[in-house]
Formats: sequence, structure tokens, C-alpha cells
Amino acid sequence: MRVTTLIAAVAFVVAACRRPPPPGGEPSPPPSPPPPPPEGVRVVDMIPASLSGETWQDAEPFLTVFATNPNLLAASAFTPNPGGPASTTAPIYVSADSGNTWSLRNTLPSNAQTADITHAAGESPALYATILSAPSIALKDLETNDVLSATTMTQDAMRPNVDQPFVRAIRAANTDRLYVGINDFDAPNGRTATVDVSLNGGTTFTSRRIESRNTLGQNGPSIRPAVAQNGTVYVAYFGWRSNAGDTITGDIVVARDDNGATGTTPFRDLRDPSDNQPGRLVATSRTIVFSNGPTLGQERIGSTLSLAVDATHSDTVYIAWADRVGSGDVQTVHVRRSLDRGATWSNDLRTLPNTTNPSLAVADDGTVGLLYQQLTGTGNASRWVNRFEQSRDGFATHKDLVLATVPANAPASQFLPYLGDYNMLLTRGTAFLGIFSAANTPDPANFPSGVVFQRRVNQATHQLLDGSGSPVDVSIDPFFFSVPVMP
Amino acid sequence: MRTRSLIVPLVLTSLVVPLSAQTSRAALVRQSDIIFAGTVTRPGVVRVDQVFEKPAAVSLAKGDSVTVLPARAGSLNPGMRATFYTTGWIYGRGITVREVGHETIGPQLAAVAGSSTAQQDLVARARQQVNDADLKARIQAAVMVVVGRVEQIRPPAYTSAPARPKRFTEHDPDWQEAIIHVDELLKGATGGERVVVRFPGSRDVAFVGKPRFAAGQEGTFLLQKDTATGSPLSVMAGQSVQAYTALHRLDVLAKQDAQHVRTLMRGP
Repeated sequence: MRVTTLIAAVAFVVAACRRPPPPGGEPSPPPSPPPPPPEGVRVVDMIPASLSGETWQDAEPFLTVFATNPNLLAASAFTPNPGGPASTTAPIYVSADSGNTWSLRNTLPSNAQTADITHAAGESPALYATILSAPSIALKDLETNDVLSATTMTQDAMRPNVDQPFVRAIRAANTDRLYVGINDFDAPNGRTATVDVSLNGGTTFTSRRIESRNTLGQNGPSIRPAVAQNGTVYVAYFGWRSNAGDTITGDIVVARDDNGATGTTPFRDLRDPSDNQPGRLVATSRTIVFSNGPTLGQERIGSTLSLAVDATHSDTVYIAWADRVGSGDVQTVHVRRSLDRGATWSNDLRTLPNTTNPSLAVADDGTVGLLYQQLTGTGNASRWVNRFEQSRDGFATHKDLVLATVPANAPASQFLPYLGDYNMLLTRGTAFLGIFSAANTPDPANFPSGVVFQRRVNQATHQLLDGSGSPVDVSIDPFFFSVPVMP
Repeated sequence: MRTRSLIVPLVLTSLVVPLSAQTSRAALVRQSDIIFAGTVTRPGVVRVDQVFEKPAAVSLAKGDSVTVLPARAGSLNPGMRATFYTTGWIYGRGITVREVGHETIGPQLAAVAGSSTAQQDLVARARQQVNDADLKARIQAAVMVVVGRVEQIRPPAYTSAPARPKRFTEHDPDWQEAIIHVDELLKGATGGERVVVRFPGSRDVAFVGKPRFAAGQEGTFLLQKDTATGSPLSVMAGQSVQAYTALHRLDVLAKQDAQHVRTLMRGP
């Protein structure tokens, strides 16, 4: 299959070389051949061939890898059940061949699609998922002991009035421990940042409040746990302190628990020297615009946050968040690092204007990967540039790869989010594995690192085709990618 | 119904086994999103002879092979021809479906000219039955059905604080009010010439498919009393009035659908 992939990628590049010169004017010099796709890089449009006619906005992608089975992957997006709005299940994507091909399986108990979904691996092939289900938008904690099974996932727990569940899992003491970051609007005193902890594989959950300071009445939606192999659990969240309308003033905070949140008062192992309260203030008094309308291109903004720990060296932890700097930016992503378990933090290692959906991961050898989507240009020339960077020296230097660069004004938004409120980067062995959503025009110029489409396309005319060969409109698709860790 | 299929369905009705009752077929159709005629080529695999229904995005055509998880083990034997009522399960290079049920097409029926077209018409009629039943259920559940025109969209005029305070969340419904001038009352009783209908103005993914309103929009509206916002009353012309919602995709119909609604209201 890998050989097939490489052949397809080369074929795509060859197709790019055959693009006709622009009409009129001086004849253009023959274009220089584009560089070959970087060795070992795979980018795969995940829409399967049997859904070649689909035109949905498959935004907000998420990815799970299974440590003990490198062939197995699970993924999700706001992809609906192809059966239509009356469907009582929603789909996940599954790959059994390391991401080269994907299928869509209707196994989530939610009407047609979800309103939020993240997932994490248990002992392969078990999968845990947390969703905001349709139509109620209630939280459902789900599990299956076989992600390839036809059976609808089992519901472990359900409750209303929460936002943006984000689950991480780790195997410990012969069971799976789950950490579900949620913004719990039923939490007392407006301290809504919460981690639902299960120490028994989802049988029971305990809500752990992690905000120790006063808020404007709630925290920001994103609560991001990250778990190291030794049981250290970090959690990043937005400490929203005040607001003027939709303009928030807040802190970026990291809490930590050194024992897997197994104690009675977890997440109090990291305190800020300014007030001795749990939760280290990584940055304070930041301006965050919460806009539930198209603001960054066709995308909304307001809660952009990622956290990654070096799984085997838990002292090292990276954070990325977005705020408005005020230099004409819509929002700017900042990347920082701590080498002492969150006690002290670097200044910005990366500062990326007009960027969203940063996602961080740390490879076994300490190399950090950063996936993000940056809006460049204006008007009809604006583009979403999907980049992946990796660095071994805290971004003093880094290796940069453009995975996709696509028009930002097309296709037109069907709903929000346009691309997603988050995406996902992971690492396994000697590779970074990730997922992002982007416009799916099959133009090789849009995918400088190569791309393989499962769905039917005409590479010569850059057209999507349905099963009968008729043209299909451009839409947003999820793309899986794999990049070798830099040597 | 098209003329060509007037006679053949009568033949089909007598030859199709084991199902003949329209209600049974409608029950199968209700649970299905992919319906096709096909021939079992080997256990669990059916070659498609004709596609009757499928979602637009799905690639499925005559000659394709579909993997079928049978409703009853051992019920699909090689050589068997049938109309398969299924729901999509796995979409990959090909399609795997779960069988809801099937109607066997025996040799006699297969020999009838135009039988496949007639079978398609039977499926289409069953789908119409299902759609009408769903709409009728919505009509019966509605406290008011009106034909009217949206005069104005405005922020909600709550008379009391909503049950839940406004939150910063991507899933905030951003409730709006449509003021609808009632041209004709089909069911229920209005307090005046206008009704207030609340709807989520949010473009968030959680509200995809929920009906939205626009000024000038005409339609037939199936209304429920507002139990969604936590503040069921609104204000119109200085008076406190009941607010309504129309949150199901069948609750907002075209103006010309009013006649169909009347027919369903009169029916048994």
C-alpha cells in the first residue's frame, strides 16, 4: 500500500507539471519542476471512495493512535452519517493500514453527527470517546472494546451543560485512566474549568475543579489535559477574569498533578509564586476576542489552546494559545516551553500572527512538533496555510513543511467552525501523525508535500468527481498526515 | 404514479414474497437509507441490479458489489434476487450495509417486463407514506399550525430571565425571534394576527438543520410552545404573549405545502 501511495503522490506531481501556461501575454518560460514531496511524508484525503459525492464541511478533525497496534488509527470530524438527518448514529473514521486508507463507520450514539468529539486509545483496539451529542448537546462519555466493531459505542456517562470535552487516556495499574477536560457550567462560583477523572476505565467519573481564582463567571471553553507515562497530568486552561462584551481579559494557566489525579485534592502540585494558588500563570492579562462569527477568514475565534508533555520526560511541557496582540492581528498564536515541570516558562518560542488550531506533540527523542493553520493574504488572495514544524532546540531552529495551502474564501462556510476549533497532532515511534481540515480541490499546487485522494478525482482538471463521474463541488475534507521525526 | 407502472405493481403485489402489505414495506423503508434490488453472488455479498434509494453522496450503481450484514444469519443465499432494505454501516472503497429486511424477487416476478421500475415505484410510494406519517405526527404534536409571512427578525424579548444565564460557548443558540403575520390558521388559536417564533440564530454546528427564519419568508409553520429558552413569554405591542418554537426540520414548510398539511389533517 505504501508503494501505491508513493506512486500516486508522484503521479500528482507529474500532473502539476502539465499545467497550461496562462492565456495571452509573453510565453512563460517552462516552469521548473516542483521539488519532489519530502521523503516519508504522507498526506491523505480521508473521504473514502464510496463517498466521492460528499460536499460536507468536515471540520474539527481529531486523531487517535494505538500504541500497541501501529496499523490501527481512529479519527473524527464533523462528518455526518451519510444516511441523513434522521440517522440515530454518527460516524468515526477508522484505518487499519496505518492511515493509508480510511473507512467511515456509524458507531457513535448521536443523531447524524456530533457537536464536539475527541477520543483516546485504551488497550488496543479499545477506544474512549467524549462527544457533545445531537440533538441535546449533552456530554456523553463513550467506549468500545473494539473500534472496528459494528456495535454502537457504549455510554459510560452523560450529563448536560458542559462544553468542549477533551479526553486523554493512559494505562496504569491494569486499567485505563481517563482525563476529560470540560468547561462545566454547573460548577460552583463560576470556576468552570474541570477535569472529569476516571480511574477505572470509564466506570465512574469524578469532577475535579481546577480553577482556583475568581473568574468573570466562567473559564474559557478549552480545558486541555496532557498525561506523561509516569502519571504526571498537566492541564492548561484559560482563566477568564473580566470582559467588555466579547473582549475577554484572561490568564493562561497550567495546573499539574504528580500522581495521576488519584488523590482527594488533585491538580494542586503546581502553584504560582504570585499568590501561591494552584495553577501556574504562564501569561497574564491577555486579550482574547470571543467571536462566534466569521472573524479569521471564515473561521470563528475565541478559545485556541494546546498542551503537550514529553511522555517519557515529564519535566518538559509545551503550551500554545492564541490571543490578540494588538498589532493589527486578528489573533496570534504563542508557543512556550517549561523544562522544570511548569514552574518557569520561556518567552515565546514561536509567535504566529493570524493563526489558529496549533497542536503540539513531543516525540520519544524530545523533538517537538507543531501543527497550525495560518491565514495569509487578503480577499481573493487569502489562503489557509497548513504548516507542520519540528524542532529539537526549542524552536531556535526548526524544520518547516507546508502540508496544504488552499484558498481561504472558498468553499463558502456551511456552519461554524469552518475548519475547527481544534485539530490534532500525535507522535508514535519515529513519526508525527496528525490531522487537519482543508479545502479539497485536487490541485497538486495546493499540496506541496504531496497528497493521495481516496475519493474520486480528476487530477488533470483538478476536479472532484462523484461515483458516476460527474463534477462535485469543493468542500472541506479531513486530511491525515504522517511526517518522520527529523533525524 | 406513472402510467407504465399502473399494472405491474398489481402483478408484483401478488408475486412478491414474503412481504405484501404496504405497511410492512413502509416499516422497512422507514429504517432504511439505502434500498436496492440485487442478486446474492456469495454469502454476504450482493451485486446491485438497480438502486432505488441512496444518499446523494454515496457512490452506488448497477453492477457494484455491496457487502450485506444480514438481518438473519443464513437468510441470503447465492442466486437469490431481492429488494434489499438497508442502512449504511461502513463506507470505504466499497460499502457495507446492515440489512433491515428484504423482499424476495422470485423467478416469475423477475420475468415480468418492467418489474424493476414497478418495484422502484412501490418503494417510492412507501417512502411517501413514511414521509406523510412523519409530517402528520408533527402536525398532531403542534399546538398551532399557521400559514404566514415573517415580518421581522429581532432579539428575544424575554419577560423573565432565561433559565440559564448567557454563556460564552460556541454552542450558544443565540436565540432570535421571528414575528410572523398569520394569513391563515390551520390549527390552534392565536392571540392575534401575529405570533412570535423563537429560533437559534447561531451558525454553530450544533444547530445545523434547525430551521432559521428571514424577514419576508413565507411558509407553513408547525409551532410548539417555547420550552427551550427557559422564558416562555415574549412581548408584542406592549403585551405579554406566548412565544413558540419550530425546531424540527419538518416544522417549516413552503407556503404551498399548506394544502398537503390540510389533507393530512383531514385524513384518518
